[in-house]
Amino acid sequence: MERTIGNSAAAQNVSKKEAKISVGCNQKNRFIPIFMTGTVLLTMISLIYLNIDWLKLASRVPQIGEVFCELAHFDFSNIDQIFSSILETVSIAVLSLLYSLVLGIVFGMLAARNIFRIKWLSVLTQSVFTFLRAVPTPVWVLLMLVCLGMGPEAGVAGLCVHTTAFFTKSFAQSFESIPDETIEALEATGTGRISIFTNAVLPAAFSQIVAWTGMRLETNFSECAVLGMVGAGGVGFVISRNLQSYEYGTAGLAIVFVFVIAYCIERLFVALKKKIAQ
Amino acid sequence: MAEILKFENVSKHYSNGVHALEHVNFTVNEGEFISVIGPSGSGKSTILRSINKLISITDGHIYLDGVSVSQQKGKNLRELRRKVGMIFQNYNLVYSLSVIQNVLHGCLGYMNGVKGVCGLYSEEDKKKALALLEELGMESFANNRASDLSGGQKQRVGIARAIMQEPKLLLCDEPIASLDPSSAKTIMDLLRSMTSKRGIACIVNLHQLDVAVKYSTRIIGLSKGEIVFDGAPEALTDERIERIYGTSRENLMIGASAND
Repeated sequence: MERTIGNSAAAQNVSKKEAKISVGCNQKNRFIPIFMTGTVLLTMISLIYLNIDWLKLASRVPQIGEVFCELAHFDFSNIDQIFSSILETVSIAVLSLLYSLVLGIVFGMLAARNIFRIKWLSVLTQSVFTFLRAVPTPVWVLLMLVCLGMGPEAGVAGLCVHTTAFFTKSFAQSFESIPDETIEALEATGTGRISIFTNAVLPAAFSQIVAWTGMRLETNFSECAVLGMVGAGGVGFVISRNLQSYEYGTAGLAIVFVFVIAYCIERLFVALKKKIAQ
Repeated sequence: MAEILKFENVSKHYSNGVHALEHVNFTVNEGEFISVIGPSGSGKSTILRSINKLISITDGHIYLDGVSVSQQKGKNLRELRRKVGMIFQNYNLVYSLSVIQNVLHGCLGYMNGVKGVCGLYSEEDKKKALALLEELGMESFANNRASDLSGGQKQRVGIARAIMQEPKLLLCDEPIASLDPSSAKTIMDLLRSMTSKRGIACIVNLHQLDVAVKYSTRIIGLSKGEIVFDGAPEALTDERIERIYGTSRENLMIGASAND
């Protein structure tokens, strides 16, 4: 009670010099304590449900070191196999990115609320792609494997689903961030909706599109490495096969290559983004 | 003098209960340079934006070149909009594009299908755009990025874009509100000369009373969505100013040039 009085009549309190002066805002966000309690409760439920054997976990920790040590003993005898599989992975990542880029721009245009100003169209597009995004990529790839058979085609198709869904959402956001006034100015010249999009919105959002694409190539590459393990070809297949047959040297080398390539892609796009922003 | 625009008993009520326009009647003839003055929220922007149906009116009729605006849709509306150029306070250019690309946006309304979508402008249009930029003293900036220009230069590109669409009517929504006094004068001079040379009627929303008096052939005063003054600048007496702004002239910031 005292606290609320202090808040509402802070000036009076100063003159009295008895009560402490409150420095918080009058409106407190009541959601934060609820959120904190909720998090604690959920953590406790999860711990009880999973019933983790902490002792066993602790006793196996030294094994992590051993495995990593073996992985570090690189085996260069299968280097040609690693190289060709990495090339395959990069190709799958780039191809799926390229197809998704085109599809993402088209669907992003439909999903953005400020281009056609048809509410049901953007809501429909957004919800379809939210559904596609909610299903994880490996599931899509497995589905494609069933439909298209083993091999990189399934990898490209499966990755495309998720990547297109991602691009649709992020591009729509970029298009919506273009000021309405700019679109209004072109509307006033009697230009059609699609022309406004291609001539004003797209060039204005170009640097953002490049940034999203760079970010996604990184994700696609690492996802693609995972996808090999479910049978979609590429370096993931090499890693999982060698791990299963305890060929740690080859697997370790392949993992290092994955890391190096992912790092290079990241650096490349950081540099590219700077150049484009100029 | 041909009549270009006619407001017939036009009202606009927003869904939040604001009455932006109340029974507005006026006509605009070819070659007129009209300033619309009035305090913020008096409906100046609504008047301009209802002419090319960026805002739909709730009551009455607006006739643009003899055609009722409110019934137009789709292609017909776009064709009608081509006749009306528009200039904005914040220029509203596409800043990642070059100056000349922004000017060429003015003729997108005339381009159909693939040409328009891909922005394949004809050489004639490019020549016309360059000639316009030269007329505005901007020819050396044609290939610069629009984001690198100063405010006054951006507004000149805005004027070029609007003139590029060969309009019969030019709408200017506070064209000098974001500009320094010297650029503001350049822009007003250019607006006046470019429109009178081409016989384009011009409606300018202004906050600067002195500018309105100096440049206009006619002034329309708005207060709470109603026209309370419509006449020559000379007829704008202190009483009438008081009626528009709801306060006496002494309480208004009117530029020094009003006294010359």
